[in-house]
Amino acid sequence: MGPGQRKGETLSNGDKRGLLGFRASGIGDLRHRSNSLLPLLQSPHLSFNFDRTRDSTDAPGLRFGGFGGVTMPAADFQGLSAPFAATGRSFLSLRRDHAAHPMDAHHRHHIDAGEQREFDAFQRQVADLFNDLAGGGDEILSISWIRRLLDTFLMCQEEFRVILFGHRRPPALIDRLVSDFFERAVKALDVCNAVRDGVDQVRQWRKHLEIVLVTLGPGHRELSEGQLRRAKKALGDLAILMLDEKDTGSVMSHRNRSFGRNSGSSSSSSGRRSHFRSLSWSVSRSWSAARQLQAIGNNIAAPRGHEVVETAGLAVPVYTMNSLLLFVMWALVAAIPCQDRGLQIHFSVPRSYLWSAPIMSLHERIVEESKKKDRKNSIGLLKEIHQIEKCVHHLTDLMDAAQFPMADDREMEVRQGVQELAQVYEALKEGLDPLERQVREVFLRIVRSRTEGLNCLNGAE
Amino acid sequence: MERSQTVTQKFSSFSSSSSSASSREDRPREIDRSRSLGPVKLEKSYGKKERDTETVTIEEDEEERQEEEEVEVVVVVNKEEEVSNVPEEPSEASFGSMSEEVDGFLSFLLSIDDGRDQWPEPPAMPEPTIKKFLDFVEEELVKYESGKDGVSPPANDELVLFDAIDRVAKLTSALSIFSSDTRYNKAMTRASSILRYAMCFLEDEFHSLLEDSKPKKDPGIARPKAKRRPSIGHLHEAIDRCVPPSSEPDLVEFPSTYPPEIIERLRGIAGAVVSAGYATECCQVFTIARHNAFDVALSNLGYEKLGVDDVQKMPWDSLEAKIATWIKVFRQTVEVAFPRENDLCEAVFAGHSTIAYSIFHNFARGVTILLLGFAEAVAMTKRSAEKLFKVLDMYETLRDMVPRIDALLRTESEPDDCSAAHDLTTEVALVGSRLGEAVVAIFCDLETSIKTDMGKNAVPGGAVHPLTRYVMNYLKYACEYKNTMEQVFRDHKTSENPSSQVEDAAKGSSDDSHNPFAIQLMEAMELLHTNLESKSKLYRDPALCSIFLMNNGRYIMQKIKGSTEIHQLLGDTWSRKRSSEMRQYHKNYQRETWSKVLACFKDDGLQARGHVAKPVLKERLKSFNAMFEEIHKAQSSWVVSDEQLQSELRVSVSAVIVPAYRSFLGRFSQYLDTGKKSGKYIKFGPEELENYIDELFSGNPSSMVSRKRT
Repeated sequence: MGPGQRKGETLSNGDKRGLLGFRASGIGDLRHRSNSLLPLLQSPHLSFNFDRTRDSTDAPGLRFGGFGGVTMPAADFQGLSAPFAATGRSFLSLRRDHAAHPMDAHHRHHIDAGEQREFDAFQRQVADLFNDLAGGGDEILSISWIRRLLDTFLMCQEEFRVILFGHRRPPALIDRLVSDFFERAVKALDVCNAVRDGVDQVRQWRKHLEIVLVTLGPGHRELSEGQLRRAKKALGDLAILMLDEKDTGSVMSHRNRSFGRNSGSSSSSSGRRSHFRSLSWSVSRSWSAARQLQAIGNNIAAPRGHEVVETAGLAVPVYTMNSLLLFVMWALVAAIPCQDRGLQIHFSVPRSYLWSAPIMSLHERIVEESKKKDRKNSIGLLKEIHQIEKCVHHLTDLMDAAQFPMADDREMEVRQGVQELAQVYEALKEGLDPLERQVREVFLRIVRSRTEGLNCLNGAE
Repeated sequence: MERSQTVTQKFSSFSSSSSSASSREDRPREIDRSRSLGPVKLEKSYGKKERDTETVTIEEDEEERQEEEEVEVVVVVNKEEEVSNVPEEPSEASFGSMSEEVDGFLSFLLSIDDGRDQWPEPPAMPEPTIKKFLDFVEEELVKYESGKDGVSPPANDELVLFDAIDRVAKLTSALSIFSSDTRYNKAMTRASSILRYAMCFLEDEFHSLLEDSKPKKDPGIARPKAKRRPSIGHLHEAIDRCVPPSSEPDLVEFPSTYPPEIIERLRGIAGAVVSAGYATECCQVFTIARHNAFDVALSNLGYEKLGVDDVQKMPWDSLEAKIATWIKVFRQTVEVAFPRENDLCEAVFAGHSTIAYSIFHNFARGVTILLLGFAEAVAMTKRSAEKLFKVLDMYETLRDMVPRIDALLRTESEPDDCSAAHDLTTEVALVGSRLGEAVVAIFCDLETSIKTDMGKNAVPGGAVHPLTRYVMNYLKYACEYKNTMEQVFRDHKTSENPSSQVEDAAKGSSDDSHNPFAIQLMEAMELLHTNLESKSKLYRDPALCSIFLMNNGRYIMQKIKGSTEIHQLLGDTWSRKRSSEMRQYHKNYQRETWSKVLACFKDDGLQARGHVAKPVLKERLKSFNAMFEEIHKAQSSWVVSDEQLQSELRVSVSAVIVPAYRSFLGRFSQYLDTGKKSGKYIKFGPEELENYIDELFSGNPSSMVSRKRT
C-alpha cells in the first residue's frame, strides 16, 4: 500500500466523523512532511551566495552558500502554524459537544468555557483516533499500523500545540507542566533515533532476502543444489542477524552447525563470526531503550482535581500527551529492533479518560504478543519481522530435508515458501522508507514544538 | 591440515547426491601445502587463449577428438617442462588445456542459446574434461584455503584461481540451458556446488582481509590548522587580554584504509564474486566491515556517541570539549575519511561503478546522519551567551562540508534535484540552519542581558563598567565571524519573511541598511549606550558622570578601532556621532569642574576705581587654593585607564588653567606683600600646578598637603 493510499484512507475516516477541516489540513501537512526533502528542492530560496564558499559555489548544479532558505525550522514551521492554528481554532469552535470529562463538574466554572470545550474536543479526538487504531483494518504491529500510530501521534501533537500556544496563560501556570512534557519529549528523541537505526537494520535484512529471491526466484527453471545452498546460507546469516544481540553468542554456535561452511570442523567451536553483524550505530554501547522508556514514563500520573483547577484545566491535555508519548515510544520499541529493548513499563490510564479504553486495549494486546512463546525472544514484534522469521524457518527446514534431485512436490513447496518471502520483501520495500521518514518527522515535530514552547516560556518571563 | 581435510569431507558431503562427488569421496585426499599453482600454469592458460575462437565452431563429433588430442599435446608439453611432476599430477599439467576446452565449450553453448529450440537433443558435452576441470578447481580451492593460514599465497595463484572460478560460474549458467538433460543437470549441479563453495570461501577470505588487515599508520596526514579563535567561556574574566587557546585535544587522524597489496587482493576477490553473481553478499560484507571499521576509528579518536538527552544534561564546559572533538571529527570525516573510502570502493569494485557508488553513498549517508545527530542535539540546548562561538564553529563546519559532500556524491547522470547527493546535503543544510537559528537566538539574548543589567552600584572612580567590557569583547568576537553572522541573520530574516529575500537581492546585500546583522549589532550598541547613560546617573558628581561616560565611550571606540569588522558594520557615521558625543562629555567635564576655578581669575570685582582690592584678591587666591586642592584630592582618585584619554584630559586642563593662573599671578601677585606671607596665598607655582594636574585621573588618591610638608 503506497503512502498516498494510506493517507487517503485516514482522510476518509476523518470525513466520516465530520473532522473535515482539521483533518484535511493535518493530513495534507503530513504528506508534505513525510516527503520532507522534496518540497525543499523546489523552494525558491535555494539561491545562495556565500562569501566563504565562493570558490566552491561553482560546483555543478548546486550553488550553496550557508544554509539559507533550505528551510529554516522557523520558516518551515511558520508555513504550517499560522493557517493551521486558524483552521484548528475554527474547527474546534464548531465542536460544541460536551464530552464526558474526567474533571469534577463543580470545578468547571473556574475554567474558561471556550477553553474547556477545546479540551473536551481534544479528549474526544484522541479517543476517536485510538479507537480507529484499535479496531482498524491494519493488523496491529504491522508496518502500516505503526505508520498509522505515528500519524495519529503527529495529529495529536499538532492539536496539543494549538491548545498549548493558542492561549495566553499566566506563565507560572504552564511553566512546570510544559517543561515537564518537553523533558519527556527530549528523551523520546533518543528513542526516535534508535528506532531509525532499527529500521535501517531491518533494511539490511532485506539484502539477505534479496539473495534468496534472486537465487530461488521464478527466473530459475531448475533449482540446483548450489543455488539452494546459497539461499540457505543467506537465510542462515539472516537468522543470526535476527537474533537479539544478547542471545547471539549462545545461539550462534548452535546455528553454525547448519549454516557454516566450516561446520563440524574444530574452528567453528569458537563461534563463526558473522560477516554481517554490525555494531550499534547511532547510540552508545551503554544506551538502553528500556531505561529510556522508563525515564519517559517516570511519574506520569493523572492529575488530581485540585491540579486541574490550579492549571485551569491544562493539566488534562498535558497528561494526555505525556501518556501518548509514552505509549507511542513504547510501541515503537516493542516493534522495531533497538538496543536493549524492554517492555516493562508502568502504563495505566484511568477509565474516566475517553481514550483510556482503546489505548489500554492496544497496550494489552502488544504485551500479550510479546509474551507469546514464539515471539518472546524476537528482536522486534513487528508483524513483518515475524513473517520473515516464519519464512526463514520454514524454508530452512525444507532445504535441510531436501534431497537431490528434488522431487517436484518438494520443489513446489520451496517455491511457495519463496513466494511468501517475496511478499514480506515487498512489504518491507514499500513500508520501511516511509516509516523511517515518519519516525524522523516525529523527531522533527517534537524538536520544533519544543523550541516553540521554550521560546514561549522565555517570552513570558 | 586437519581442518582442511574435514572441510573437504564436508564439502564432499554437500554433493553426495551427485555421482561424481560420491566417487570422489572414496579416495582420501592428501593435501600438499607446498604445492602451488605456479606462474608457469598462468602463462599457459593465458598463452593459449587466442585459440578459444577456433574451438567455438568445432562440431560436437569433432570435439571429443579434439579434446583427446589436446590432452595429449599438453601432456607432451608438460613432459618437456616438468617431467618429474607428470606421473603424480597429470591434472595440474593439463589445467591450461582443460580451461581452454571448457572455454570453447562455453562459447559454443552460449552461441546456440538463442536457437535452443533447434536442438531437440542437447549437444554432446566434453564430460571428462569438465569433470576433471571441476575436480581440479575444487582441489585448488581446498589447497588454497589450507595454505592461507600461513603466508599469503602469491598473487598469481589467486589470479589463476579467480579465473577458474569465473569459468565455473559461466559453466554453471551455460549448463543450465539444457538442465533438463540428466548429464547436463549433473554437471551443472556439480559446478554450482563448487561455485557456491568457492563463493563461501571467498566471502570468508574477503571478510578476513577486510577485518584483519591492519592499516599502517599514515604519517603523512596534514595536521589541521589550529582554530583561529580561543574559546571565550569566561568573558567576564577575560577582560582585555587575549585568551590563550585552550589546549587542544589530540589531533584527529583517521587511519588509512588498506595497503595496496591488500586492496589488490580485495579487488581480485570482489571481481570474481561479482561476476559470479554473488555481488549482494560481497557488498554486504564490505559495507558492514567498513562501517564497523569506521565505528572503531571513531571511538579511537575519542568520539563518544551522545544521545540528545545526554547533550541537554551536560554541563557546558564538558559539552564545549565534545563540540571541539566533533568539529575535528566531522571535518576529518568529510575531508579525509570520505575520499579514502570512496577511493577504496572504487579500487575494490573497479569496473563496477554502480556498486562502488552505492556502497560509498550508503557509507557516507550513514556516517553523516550519525554525526549530524550531535549537531542537532547541540542546537537544542538551552541558549546562553557563551555558547555562541562554538555553535558558530559547528555551523561553519557543516556549511563548509556541504560542497565537499556534494562533490563526492554527485554523479553526472542524475539531475540535481533528486540526486542522492542532494538529499544528503539538504539534510546537512537543515541541521545547519537549525544551528543558525540557535545563533540568532543566542545573539538576540545579548540584548536582553544588556537591557536587564541594572546594577545599583557605580564603578569607583568612573572607570570602565564590566558590562561595557563584556559586551564589547563579545561583539568583537562575534564580529570575527562577520560573514557567517551576516549569513545567519539574513537567512533568519528570510525565514521570517520569505518575500524580503527578493527585495534584498534587488537592493544588493552590500548595503548595510539591509544587513540584518549590522542592524542587530547597532541595536546592541544603542542599548549599551542607553544603559551606560542611565548608569552614569548613579554618580552624584556630574563631572564624574562625564568621566564615566568618557571612559566607557573611549573603551568602546578603542575596541571598534581594533576590529575592522565592527568598524565596517557600524560605519563611519556612527563613529563620527560617537566622537562628537565624546567631545561633548569632555566639554561637560571642563565646565562642571573648571569653570568655577577659572572664575577666580576674573578681573571683574577685583579692581575698583583702578585699585586692586587686596582682600578680594586674597579671598580669590584662598578659594582657588581650596578648590584646586579639593579637585586634586577627588579627581586624582578618579580612573582614566586609557593613557591617551588621560593625557588628553590633563593637557586640556593644564591648557586652560595654567596660563590663566600664570597671567593672573603676573597681573596681581605684585599687590600682595612680599615675603613669608605671600606663600600663604600663592600656594602653587604654575609649574607645580601643572604637576598636580598631571596627577589627576591616576586612580591613586593622594593628598598634596601631606607631600607639601615633607
